[in-house]
Amino acid sequence: MDAFLTSRVVTDILEGIVQGVVIGLVALGLVLVWRATRVLNFALGAIATLAAYLGMGLLSYHVGFWWCFVLCIPFGMVLGGATERIVVRPLYGKPELNPIVAMVGLLFLLEAVVGAIWSTTTRAIPVPFSFIHWTLGGRPFALSPLSVFQICAALVLALAIGALFRFTQLGLQLRATAHAPETSRLLGVRVSRMLTLGWMLSCSVGAVAAVIVAAGFATGLTPSEMEAPFAIGFIAAAVGGLDSPVGALVGGVAFGVIEQFVTDYLNANLVLPVALGILILALVLRPQGVFSRPVARRV
Amino acid sequence: MKALASLRTERPLLWRAVATIVLVGIALVVSDQVSALTDYYLADAAAMSIVMVGLSFLTGLSGQVSLGHGAFMGVGAYTAAIWAVHHAHTPIVANLALATVVGALVGLLVGLPATRLRGPYLAGMTIAIAVAFTSIISEFGSWTNGDQGLALPTPVAPPRWLVQYLHSTPKAGRPGNMWLADIAIVTAGIAFFFMANLFRSRTGRAMRLVRENEVAAEIAGVSLPRARVLAFVVAAACAGLGGGLTTMVAGSVAPSSFELGLSIEILTLLVIGGIGTLSGALIGGLLYAYSSSWITSLVNATGLKPTSNLAASLDGIIFGGLLIIFVLLAPLGLVGTARLVVARRLRASRTSEARARPSTTT
Repeated sequence: MDAFLTSRVVTDILEGIVQGVVIGLVALGLVLVWRATRVLNFALGAIATLAAYLGMGLLSYHVGFWWCFVLCIPFGMVLGGATERIVVRPLYGKPELNPIVAMVGLLFLLEAVVGAIWSTTTRAIPVPFSFIHWTLGGRPFALSPLSVFQICAALVLALAIGALFRFTQLGLQLRATAHAPETSRLLGVRVSRMLTLGWMLSCSVGAVAAVIVAAGFATGLTPSEMEAPFAIGFIAAAVGGLDSPVGALVGGVAFGVIEQFVTDYLNANLVLPVALGILILALVLRPQGVFSRPVARRV
Repeated sequence: MKALASLRTERPLLWRAVATIVLVGIALVVSDQVSALTDYYLADAAAMSIVMVGLSFLTGLSGQVSLGHGAFMGVGAYTAAIWAVHHAHTPIVANLALATVVGALVGLLVGLPATRLRGPYLAGMTIAIAVAFTSIISEFGSWTNGDQGLALPTPVAPPRWLVQYLHSTPKAGRPGNMWLADIAIVTAGIAFFFMANLFRSRTGRAMRLVRENEVAAEIAGVSLPRARVLAFVVAAACAGLGGGLTTMVAGSVAPSSFELGLSIEILTLLVIGGIGTLSGALIGGLLYAYSSSWITSLVNATGLKPTSNLAASLDGIIFGGLLIIFVLLAPLGLVGTARLVVARRLRASRTSEARARPSTTT
């Protein structure tokens, strides 16, 4: 049993899951915004990074790690809400290109702002978990207290978001807005608030993902830390279907495992090309995404 | 003046040829007079405006977003560099043609799946290509020399036609290869002439229709996949050519020049110039060439330490901020907005004339 659990394949799968939860969270963040406002938030990674820097910046004011971690969530919410109100809102109903370009501009702007304030050097976060792997029968096991923390943090957040959508009145309103904004408005849902709220939730999910990335061994906070997770997170969301939160999470974890296998058996440089290949294949075979239903396009 | 106007409407091809030759001639004369540094900027601007005119066609006309144009440029740049390293005596024109063809092939490769993708999906795929490009370059380290990049061998003498027809010779007190700027300007002239015709051609009109209304385009007999792929191929060929040119002008190539930032910078300056127009691409190219020196002088003027974090991130703040401001306030860019203002003025003066007339007759 120990030999099996420490085998190369199981190790790759478990380490892949650790990476995959981050990708899944990014994908979930993209889906939340896409469902609500039909905008693909290219700035998600940068907004999340800024929120993580703000939250973790409190460490230098002798705020405890857990407080900093939790405070990243409201920071993400504020940034997400502000983005929606200031940049995205004037662009509803404009050509599809405009919000895309604006979000790309925001990505560039925020990455530069983070670099201007905190410099581009990597900052380690003092996570109160050991990165030393457990051993089983004298052989190293794939997981460490740190990676269990990373998985649990992502899982708790995903479950909380799921519960919000599934069991609360607010979640119902959010789902109704995403599904049929006009009808929801007639029934008394404050649609415009729901759109802002969708952005706030999405960016807080992103912020947690950014902290989890930065917490990893041999990584840390850098302005561009979320570029690669964003690229793969987008691919995962697109393959899973931009309308399906579950698809985004499952797709994210799957891509994390694939990433780990490619890194281990082939080469780390091939991770993105392989992911792109899967995306192209998936979109050619099932353009609407693996987990969502096809929708007729209006003519 | 009137003769020119009628030439423009009645013999558009001739008009474009004349306009191109005049503009290229002016640029060549200017390039002959200015300092070596300005000459380098002109060459850079010429190369970059070719990249941008391709993107202007792809995004402005056919309505497909590419956030990975820096990668297409990198393909052309590396093609030209690798070929030049292995075959130093290849004529420059042949090498540029090779960069264009390889760029077009990569465009075909990316364009084929792109026919199934729209808007944000396509943008996401191309941004992933831009992020992946540097790691792909490292993967082929034996050809590309990894992170160190490649230095091109000193270019051979200027092609004979350039000396013969443009009397372009090494200028006194200048680096010996400044004729490269002349090559860049002439190449840009040819590329713009070709693109100007394409913008106004049957294909260009079909692209516009595809962007505005896919169903109407299909009813009118336009094949959507073919139009989409063609736009990608043309844009990538332009990017390959421009990338090849920048490499030759700079004399070296490294993966760090082709990170995601380049793609965003290209898009930003094109949006500022005016996406979907030729002159917007030209303005974008000039802005690109001068932007870094302007930012440096801005840093000096404000008394910022050049090594400070803010000075290092200033380009991102300016480009990102400008992109957002232009999309929100002037999405048509400088050229598009200027055209809009002129058109409004004309209409306003016409209506006021029309209003004035009945009152005088009665």
